[in-house]
Amino acid sequence: MNFRSPRILPWLTVVTLTAGFALVFFFAPNDADQGFIQKIFYLHVPLAICALVGFMVAAVQAIIHLRGGDSKWDVRSYVSIHISIILGVAVLITGAIWARASWGKWFVWDEPTLVSFLIVFLLYCTYYPLRYAIEDRERQARYASVFAVTAGAFVPLNFIAVRLAETLVHPRVFATSDSGLPPKMWITFLVCLAGMGLLWETLVRFELAAKSSRARLGRLRRALEGDDVGVAGSRIAPLAHGATETS
Amino acid sequence: MNAFRTILGKDLRTELRTLESIPAMALFAATTFVLFRFGLDRTSLEGSLAAGVLLATVLFAAILAINRVFVSEREQGGFDVVRLAPVDGTALFAAKVCVLAIYLVVLELIAVPLFALLFLDSAAGLAPLALVLAMVDLGLATIGALVSSIAINSRARDLIAPLLLLPLLVPVMIAAAGAAEPLLAAGGPSYDGFGKWIAVLALYDVVFGLVGYAVYDFLLED
Amino acid sequence: MPALPLDEAGKYVAGAYVVFLALLLIYVAIMATRLQRIDRELAELAELAERRDDRSVRDPDGADAGGERPANDPGTPGREAEDVPGGDLRRSSRQEVS
Repeated sequence: MNFRSPRILPWLTVVTLTAGFALVFFFAPNDADQGFIQKIFYLHVPLAICALVGFMVAAVQAIIHLRGGDSKWDVRSYVSIHISIILGVAVLITGAIWARASWGKWFVWDEPTLVSFLIVFLLYCTYYPLRYAIEDRERQARYASVFAVTAGAFVPLNFIAVRLAETLVHPRVFATSDSGLPPKMWITFLVCLAGMGLLWETLVRFELAAKSSRARLGRLRRALEGDDVGVAGSRIAPLAHGATETS
Repeated sequence: MNAFRTILGKDLRTELRTLESIPAMALFAATTFVLFRFGLDRTSLEGSLAAGVLLATVLFAAILAINRVFVSEREQGGFDVVRLAPVDGTALFAAKVCVLAIYLVVLELIAVPLFALLFLDSAAGLAPLALVLAMVDLGLATIGALVSSIAINSRARDLIAPLLLLPLLVPVMIAAAGAAEPLLAAGGPSYDGFGKWIAVLALYDVVFGLVGYAVYDFLLED
Repeated sequence: MPALPLDEAGKYVAGAYVVFLALLLIYVAIMATRLQRIDRELAELAELAERRDDRSVRDPDGADAGGERPANDPGTPGREAEDVPGGDLRRSSRQEVS
């Protein structure tokens, strides 16, 4: 597996995201309704979109893994979910801050998007206990992929259900995200979204590279020490943790 | 089809002989009603409270059954038999969904009248409620069979199954509560948004039925 | 919804962006720790390799390691993946168990 990314990606991320945030504060006009507080929108919404898209990407990767049986796709699916969960934490915290500023409460149960996101987040959090509850590596990978596919199907369904549960016409403070967004805000939003997407991809590659180098290190250690120790067969069980057990 | 009938028949016969799951579920439901009576300090319920109490009880009782539905397979090597025999996973999955759905229907035949007796002023809403509950059962059974097969091969399986199930069941709860609330309203049943919620439940059942059908084989191979 | 005055809203907006920055920094810190561990292990291994080079003339790494365990053939993606998903988490869970 060669995860050596094109060197340009991290820099592109830095430039785009910085430019996006600069646009937020120096270019985008203040929202007529909400004023300055609406600036959280450019952080919160791209984060949420990237996290959700990341979950869907993980589902697709899991499907590829199940169909082809190549475990590198399981690793990718795992890392996609992992990074999306990290972004998800940021989504929930920034969402809570926005809710506090707009409505005076840290969490608002009748804002469907926020509630759906919380449910999806909770579901994906169970991915870790599931993985570590299964000993056999090959089975673990397969079951984790089944989970990723199921959860991927769950994401849109959950959003439908929660949105429908919204009673009548809730005064939507997020109305700015509808068609009424002025062009300057649109540009800012799109740049932020692109930056966040690039950030997601950068972090995923970073994480993949870290995991793969740790695995390589473990292999190297086994190759080097194996000569001294000389028992190949008996080490099979702990081999799976070879990269970490010796540290 | 043959394998499906065999597995279904075997499970139902086992249940009839040992009475392992359904009585426990019914007892659990009855006790939960009593707990709610004191927890909420209400002697009669209507509307959203009634829907919530009933559905939460059914849901938690379902978890009992879901935890048990593959236990015999695991303890008596049923999985290996399925793997060895030329039976595809779909038959096993379908059979388990049916077993769970039947358990749930039987449970509700006991629990819903009991609930009506204990808490409801009028039983007028119960007929359309049956449709809602049938859809809920199907969703619970589908996702339950899927999650249970995942959990049964893991270490802390009693823990993993509810952990995975509860978030997955949130849409079912939303839709079922949305449909049941007007049915159990104080002023007699109304059908406010009934079709919409039934459609959501149907969508849920279909989607996870398809997901289960698509991925189930991967849970069996070894 | 009335617009909050700037001095009030500014705190919240700043808070949100600070949270984002803090999470990124936490991530960087975690990755830095991991990198240090990898570095330490690499140093250990380099030392091991050097010692072995002194001891024997032939190159045991390629021949022996490959010969002993063909299943561990470096370059099989499966091997690599085995170590991969969340080794650190798994390790911590193991510690709790034991």
